[in-house]
Amino acid sequence: MATAQTLRQKERRRHLWIYAGLTPFVFIAVFPIYWMLITAFKQDPDLYRMDNIPFWFNLAPTLRHFKILFFQTNYGAWIVNTMTIAAWVALITLVTAVPAGYALARLRLPAAENIGISVFMTYLVPPIILFLPLSRVVAMLGLQDEWWALVVVYPTFTIPFGTWLLMGFFKTVPMEMEEAARVDGCGYLGAFLRVVLPVSVPGVLTAVIFAFTLSMQDFLYGLAFVAPGDQKPVPVGVPTELIRGDVYYWGSLMGAALLVGLPVAVLYNFFLDRFIQGITGGVGK
Amino acid sequence: MTPASLQGGGPEPTARAAVVSVAVPLRSRLMFQSQTSRRLAFGYLLLAPAALYVLLLVGAPFVFSLYLAVSDANVGDPVATFIGLENFRSALEMDVFWIALQNSVIFLVVAAIFKSILGTSLAFLLLQDFPGKKLIRGLVVIPFTLPIAISVLAWKWMYDSQFSVINWVLSRVGLIGQYGTDSWPIWLGDPKLALLACIAVNVWRTFPFSAIVLLAGFTSVPLEVLDAAKVDGCSFFQRFRHVVAPMIFPILMIGFLFDTVFTLSDLSVVYLLTQGGPANASKILPVLAYQIGIQAGNLGRGAAIALFLVPLLAPAMFLFLRNLKRREY
Amino acid sequence: MTDLQQAKPSPSTFNRRKFLATAGAGVAGSSLLTMLDAKQAPAQIKGTTLRILQWSHFIPAYDTWFDSKLTKEWGDQNGVKVRVDHIPHLELPARMAAEYAAGAGHDIIMNGSSILTRLYYKSLADLTDVYDAAGKKHGGWIPTAKALVEAEGRYYGIPLFYILLPMTYRKDLFDANGLKAPDTWELARVAARTLKPKGHPTGIQFSQCADANLNWRSVLFSFGGAELDPSGENILIDSKETREALKFAKALYDEGMTAEVFSWDDASDNRYLASGIACWVHDAISAYRTTEDTNPDVFKNTFIGMEPAGPNGKRVNTCAANVWMVWKFSKNQQAAKEFLTHMVDTFSEGMTSSRGYNMPYLNGLAKKPMPVIGTDPKLQILQDFPPIVAFYGYPGPFITPIQEVVNLFVLPDMFTRVARGQSVEDVMKWGMGEYRRIFAKHKRA
Repeated sequence: MATAQTLRQKERRRHLWIYAGLTPFVFIAVFPIYWMLITAFKQDPDLYRMDNIPFWFNLAPTLRHFKILFFQTNYGAWIVNTMTIAAWVALITLVTAVPAGYALARLRLPAAENIGISVFMTYLVPPIILFLPLSRVVAMLGLQDEWWALVVVYPTFTIPFGTWLLMGFFKTVPMEMEEAARVDGCGYLGAFLRVVLPVSVPGVLTAVIFAFTLSMQDFLYGLAFVAPGDQKPVPVGVPTELIRGDVYYWGSLMGAALLVGLPVAVLYNFFLDRFIQGITGGVGK
Repeated sequence: MTPASLQGGGPEPTARAAVVSVAVPLRSRLMFQSQTSRRLAFGYLLLAPAALYVLLLVGAPFVFSLYLAVSDANVGDPVATFIGLENFRSALEMDVFWIALQNSVIFLVVAAIFKSILGTSLAFLLLQDFPGKKLIRGLVVIPFTLPIAISVLAWKWMYDSQFSVINWVLSRVGLIGQYGTDSWPIWLGDPKLALLACIAVNVWRTFPFSAIVLLAGFTSVPLEVLDAAKVDGCSFFQRFRHVVAPMIFPILMIGFLFDTVFTLSDLSVVYLLTQGGPANASKILPVLAYQIGIQAGNLGRGAAIALFLVPLLAPAMFLFLRNLKRREY
Repeated sequence: MTDLQQAKPSPSTFNRRKFLATAGAGVAGSSLLTMLDAKQAPAQIKGTTLRILQWSHFIPAYDTWFDSKLTKEWGDQNGVKVRVDHIPHLELPARMAAEYAAGAGHDIIMNGSSILTRLYYKSLADLTDVYDAAGKKHGGWIPTAKALVEAEGRYYGIPLFYILLPMTYRKDLFDANGLKAPDTWELARVAARTLKPKGHPTGIQFSQCADANLNWRSVLFSFGGAELDPSGENILIDSKETREALKFAKALYDEGMTAEVFSWDDASDNRYLASGIACWVHDAISAYRTTEDTNPDVFKNTFIGMEPAGPNGKRVNTCAANVWMVWKFSKNQQAAKEFLTHMVDTFSEGMTSSRGYNMPYLNGLAKKPMPVIGTDPKLQILQDFPPIVAFYGYPGPFITPIQEVVNLFVLPDMFTRVARGQSVEDVMKWGMGEYRRIFAKHKRA
């Protein structure tokens, strides 16, 4: 009884230490978010007074910035564009990187190693130069100024990542499983689909989540390829239409970022365990 | 059951082929060869979509940008002529190029140091079990999920010379003076602070990612191994050095490599915060390349600056990845 | 909800929309469509689509007017479907480069602050007829307009409006301290020196931003300094006047500003004024408008003055130029030209929608009283600015090496270096070195 209590006390003390240790990290990570959140609900004059306490409302909170977002810009369309682009990019990444990762990891292709490395090295090509020739490609496909252009372009940076991630992951699947399946009459394809793929779900999911988040981090390609107001994704639409010359619409900018960022953070956190499993499998063994 | 599968975890192709060739007569060996070609065909077929995608959309444009770097192309003139390494030479002539190069290196190194310190400690903490872990984990990953182009703007507002909330707090706590005094830091205007302020944003955004990568690394170390080491009487640091570190090394390195590449080519933080000012104090290579190549229209020189590090980085990365992959086996 | 429906990736709408967009914009890449287009008589603009790319105007009401009234009414009259896209003016060069590389995009493209006409002119449609006709109709272009769009004797762009950066000051603070209105740079300095200790410094951007490029040129040119000679061949930066301007800036900084100015961007002086701190700022009237919208008490006492004069009484206001161009690859140049003409003709309506922001390049449109600024007593003075307007390169032309000088912030950096304590001679040497290096590179190319 007494020991159980001391154990519990000990445990509680341990937790307190952990919380104390985590506090600065949470503070660093979350403070800017809190700042964005409160700015999104502040009236403009409240932002430009030096004598006010900045952390709370000195004038009544307002929904005006969100009204601007939804009624004076195409924000609704931007959200839909962002999500559809991300979904397509994730899908394209999936159908290209999964087979590629598998081929490089398992099929003992003579040049596998060098091909894998070259795929990774494409990251060395700076986007600030790449976007010019790519704009030609986009125009040739007749996709200029449609969000479809970004569906074509974003996989250039999600496929290499996905391939590497999955390559490492497939390596951890025991070879015997696959060979047993082949002996049982499955071909290479059958073994891949019926045996390797099902046990690799965490890795595949990781690649998908990653493709999803990476496609929300671009600005330059979106800027260069998609100008019409109703075709932009959020990360392009918001800074391009809510900064007018030398006037920043702080409230709307912050609100817009949070409205897409927070749900993705929840999603991300939800998959984080699988994600961790994913990268562990990817390069740990 | 074939001999190969009985081998149990013998994925070495030569070893297995040897077993097969001993066990089966010539006819089967021919079959095996056709199986090899089938395997290769299947392999290349699987590889084809990704390889073509990358080749067409990165490879070809890359060759084009290499061509830009050795030509006098500017945005308005459709006819560009070959001028050799002239663009690189004229980059070297610019003071600001050297400043940008130096700043890029500082940016990379300082950011990496902070990211690893913050990332490692956070990962250690998140490795523990405690109530509310999921919530806290969810909170710390937010910086990574916000679109960078917008979250930088929030920082711009926090760094504002007048309305900086950071300064407001520091001033109330008494660490700095009142607004208008010399000890009120001008984050984006002081040459000593501007680059650091940009680095801080990069660290803020990516340290949660470093933590997650490391967390993955720690989780991958099997508990039995650690316990065995403990039983053998290894101290915490010995365990870390000899057991944990070697096992998480590849993960660390891959994370590090990704981060290096993304940090080096990222222009959004500096471009949106300072444009490289004041007086070039925070100029980094991608920003300079963008300003010369795109905004002022000298594609050739812009491409040369943007690609300047590639000849240095490419071989380093190649060797690095080769080594790393060897370690995996 | 139409936006949302449009954004759905259903294959059928995608194909139809893609077809419409391609056919309408005359995007290259489909030989069939090119052939169809070629069959059309050039004057026949009925049934075509015109696509315009321009900035997001500082005044949202202007974009509303432009997008849903001006273009719509003109489009209805002429049977042309007009589509307007907006991106921030600072990012227009990137988009322009992308369209150039693609050989496809909008028909009309606008430049603000960075004017790239001379860089792109080989890929732009010749607009000499539109330019000349507009000049004839509206009393001639102001003298500095030509240099923005001229290349090899032809005109490749139509300047529509420029943005003034006038002196905006707090009359209450000036009056309470017995200061004269900042009609000269010297008076402005005295005011800042007097008011800084009272908690009201001034500020001009010593940083790398568009306003820094404009404001320090205004100071330099008002001091009698010059950037290029009218031939565009000779760099005139190395002069006594430049040294005087640099010394002045140093004194102005030491006596009247805080270190904040090193971090400023284009929006910071707006906030400085709106928060009630600044005694004066030299900025576009968005500073005035921001104050109006956010701090009525300060706004009551905020006045706009004539461009301050330099030591010899010279006044030059370096303005942010805005120019519209038509791509050579545009399949709809006829409609583009007709629309540009219409745009110039309806300038006054646009000036009203922009709350007096847009200033005309055409003398006939600058007659008093001008819309908005002619009726607002505080803004009336802006009507006297047109004769003193200048652009980058003044008194020379805005040529491509100057564009690079501007994009690398060489001139503001010279002022920044002096303010930070480097000697005027060292800075002069550094600045001239940069100018020469950039010019030499363009000659070599």
